[in-house]
Amino acid sequence: MGNVSTKVSIEHLTYKYPFAENVSLEDITLSIDAGQSIGIIGRNGAGKSTLCYVLSGLIPRFFHGKITGKVTIDGEDVPTMPIERLIRKVGLVLQNPFSQISGAKMTVYEEVAFGLENLGIEKDEMHERIDTVLRQFDLYKKKDENPFELSGGQLQRLAIASVLVLKPEILILDEPTSQLDPRGTTEVFETISQLKTLGITILIVEHKFEKLVEYVDKIALLHEGKLLGYDTAEHIFSTSEIETYGVGQPIYTALCKRMGLKKANGYYPVSFGETAALMNGLKESGMDRRTYDG
Amino acid sequence: MRVLSLYVENDTFIHKLEPIAKLLYALISIVITFLFPSITVGAVFVAFSLLLAISAKVFKRMLLLLNVVLIVLLSMVIIQGLFYRQNVTPAFKLWGLTFYKEGLLYSLLLIVRVVNMIISFGVLILTTRPSDLVDNLVQKGLSPRFGYVLASVLQIIPQMLSTTSTITDAQRSRGLETEGNLFQRFSAFFALLGPLVLNSLVEARERAMAIEIRGFGVEGKRTFVRQILETKTDRWIKISLYVAFIVAVVWRIILWAM
Repeated sequence: MGNVSTKVSIEHLTYKYPFAENVSLEDITLSIDAGQSIGIIGRNGAGKSTLCYVLSGLIPRFFHGKITGKVTIDGEDVPTMPIERLIRKVGLVLQNPFSQISGAKMTVYEEVAFGLENLGIEKDEMHERIDTVLRQFDLYKKKDENPFELSGGQLQRLAIASVLVLKPEILILDEPTSQLDPRGTTEVFETISQLKTLGITILIVEHKFEKLVEYVDKIALLHEGKLLGYDTAEHIFSTSEIETYGVGQPIYTALCKRMGLKKANGYYPVSFGETAALMNGLKESGMDRRTYDG
Repeated sequence: MRVLSLYVENDTFIHKLEPIAKLLYALISIVITFLFPSITVGAVFVAFSLLLAISAKVFKRMLLLLNVVLIVLLSMVIIQGLFYRQNVTPAFKLWGLTFYKEGLLYSLLLIVRVVNMIISFGVLILTTRPSDLVDNLVQKGLSPRFGYVLASVLQIIPQMLSTTSTITDAQRSRGLETEGNLFQRFSAFFALLGPLVLNSLVEARERAMAIEIRGFGVEGKRTFVRQILETKTDRWIKISLYVAFIVAVVWRIILWAM
């Protein structure tokens, strides 16, 4: 039994897809507290999406295969939890904004209603919830437009709204900005920022580390199906091995590593703010950039 | 992104009718025109369907729909007029070809049937939002999975066409000849199939996952954000249509027995 505030608990999770030679997740153990935001990083094939599918219940309901270990949300076993209850606990947003639109609804309003209709939510409550999320995600003016006429960023916001209207306690975002331009990316991260204030537990798979580190409390580093690290961003990106896993690092961390600039706590800065503060500190103390040349 | 729909937004009595009532009119009027080998019966339904189209303010669009089948209708006149099995009485001669009265009358019967089919279904399609029709059918007991397939096809096909154009552009930019003679076009078509099919399969899988996580597979009572209500008028229209259908079937059986 975990801590009372533990929302998600994963113990010795191992999973292998049908017909796959190797396991996609191997002996993963971690726990996530309620309201925390977790970033999941790793190179392609590390098992990031697979972990999302396990937590959202798509494994083993949608993808079969061999799963061992224990995955619980609020102490309830995820693989055996009734789907209607699981949907109310976990929402999943996929990377391609176009393919996660149901395709069966003619307007943004009806698209958001899709999940509520499936769950048999009463009409009055349905309207109330839809109006709230559409306003929350700045889509209310677009409510009568066809979903496929929206821009990439708006479409991804619609996808998030369509999931959040079901009021999940945990939101999983699997590379939500991978197909978006910088404006769309900013829109999605601003949305995530809003959700954090609402106390929703967030798991986000993302390669745009400069953005990611600003929004997450912890980072889970996956490599070839194994969990190699689960700690704060500065801790994860300060390790010297991070470069050998092929995941990259925030540009500010790479710059500071190159310059040998560390924060007072011994870790490298991960964000623009931290790096700028560190450099300003150096400037004020009389050291300029030339000190690091050559 | 275009949607595969001919719906014309208007605020008319016909637009407000329950989609199933319009569907029922289309089906029953077609069945009746086929039950009775009578040009008069067919013409009455054509006239009535046209009246509906005019009152729904979709007459011009209807003419465009009819224009699509104009060549087929003309070919019916020529083929039946010349080669109908029971042709006996010559009607007129044109460029040395003899057209017969029996064949021309038969082609007229076929034409009123086809035209009525197009106009009655045209009234349904031009005055009903596709999603309303599907929602209405699901509310009346159609499987939600089948309803989803019907509704999604209308939007996903244009999306596939857009993907096709992207793939073609990508292939062209890498030197593949997509235009030119028939052979070149044929080879380009085969080159397009692989990525298009794979891409569609990947998208279909992702969409299936996305709708599953939004409760599509949940069993139990569903609700609808747009509840299509059956008004008294709708009910009376449907009852009248059922009565007309039963009378037509009985009448046909009597005619056949005589």
